[in-house]
Amino acid sequence: MLRAFRFIVDLFSQRHGVVAFAFFLALGLLMRQAPNSVRQSVVSAALGSVFYPAQLAVSSLNAYRAVAEENVQLKEENARLRQETYHAREGLQELARLHTLVRFDDKWDYPIVTSRVVGHNPGRFLTTLVINRGNKHGVKEDMPVFSMNGLVGKITKASLTHSRVQLLVDPNLKLSVMERRTRVVGFLESMDGHTLTAMVPAHAGVVAGDTLVTSGLGGIFPKGIPVGTVKEVRKSDLDVMRQMDVEPFQEFSILEEVFVMEKEPDWEIKELLDEEP
Amino acid sequence: MKNLKWLWLLIMFVVCFSLQVSVADWLSIFEVSPDFVIIFIVAVAIKCGPAAGCFWGFAAGFAQDVYAPVEWLGAHSIAMTIVGFVVGQLNERFLTLNMPAKVGVLGLAYMICDGIYFGITGLSKEIVTNLFLTKSLPGCAYTMLIGSILFYLDVGKKKTHV
Repeated sequence: MLRAFRFIVDLFSQRHGVVAFAFFLALGLLMRQAPNSVRQSVVSAALGSVFYPAQLAVSSLNAYRAVAEENVQLKEENARLRQETYHAREGLQELARLHTLVRFDDKWDYPIVTSRVVGHNPGRFLTTLVINRGNKHGVKEDMPVFSMNGLVGKITKASLTHSRVQLLVDPNLKLSVMERRTRVVGFLESMDGHTLTAMVPAHAGVVAGDTLVTSGLGGIFPKGIPVGTVKEVRKSDLDVMRQMDVEPFQEFSILEEVFVMEKEPDWEIKELLDEEP
Repeated sequence: MKNLKWLWLLIMFVVCFSLQVSVADWLSIFEVSPDFVIIFIVAVAIKCGPAAGCFWGFAAGFAQDVYAPVEWLGAHSIAMTIVGFVVGQLNERFLTLNMPAKVGVLGLAYMICDGIYFGITGLSKEIVTNLFLTKSLPGCAYTMLIGSILFYLDVGKKKTHV
């Protein structure tokens, strides 16, 4: 085994690494040329076998460290006060969370799955999150994901114990939105994997500072989830449309906890989506 | 000894990724954060040569591709592989890399990586220009700053061993 490994290393090191370079470059190009279904399987296999367990371990270590720190802090206090403080803090957090959940539930009446973010894109463009809830917990593909501040994205791949969340800044996610004041409907997308851009009819009079919410069209996201505020309105190539920069309500890089709404896409629209090649 | 070196690199790889998904966010200034992964690739390519640079570049790129949009799969892998190879070649053939040269190569590697990535993903010229000015350039400068500190610490470590 060790010999085989050494043989491969020696082979790859030949000619100043040209062999290794050619091999890895070819592998990269193969991935680029592969059909979408193959790419999806490659990503799922890699995520499920290596990256999810590794990130879960790192995430759990972080959680353990936080608990240990809290423990040390608590030991310094009087036992009775410590108990009371702990209960009060827990109670307040629980209350705040329940308030939020109740508000969301009242509005949309779908069950909510609370989940922890265990991994995110290590690159410069954050487009995907991994959460620690999957099919086992009722999470399925195309379910909306949101935080206490607003919409986060949707589930693109649900495995048994974990799921992949496609963030709003993913260039492949296009979303129908509505401006809250004027009620005009447009669409939101990210063209560069970093900033959000909305296209709204020019006649609507949308200005900077206006609020965008989901329109409910498209069948995936229910109507009314806050998305973001209009930062700047620009003239687009089309005279009838205005292009605007949107500041999302939720800062995606600092997400620790998200909620998955157990809402499956409306069946008629899902059928239409499934028909697409 | 060689096996230990690989194990050490693997540990450093994991550490760099952990730093990238945790510390990099805390260090971000105006949404610009340093790229520990590319520092790792450049350091490995300089220390271990182009073959190791390619391997770890591909591994790091693939790890980033897993979380990128599926349509862009392979873009990071190709970019990072090329960077690992080029830096390794530069070090092996043309340069005796002292500290400033290492930092310069790090900046060059960052820009090459972004350039290839933008090219492969097929973003429009307008978007690329915008990303280049608002993300790549400040990110490159920040990464060079952090890289210079890490390279300096590494040089210091070597001196104490001698």
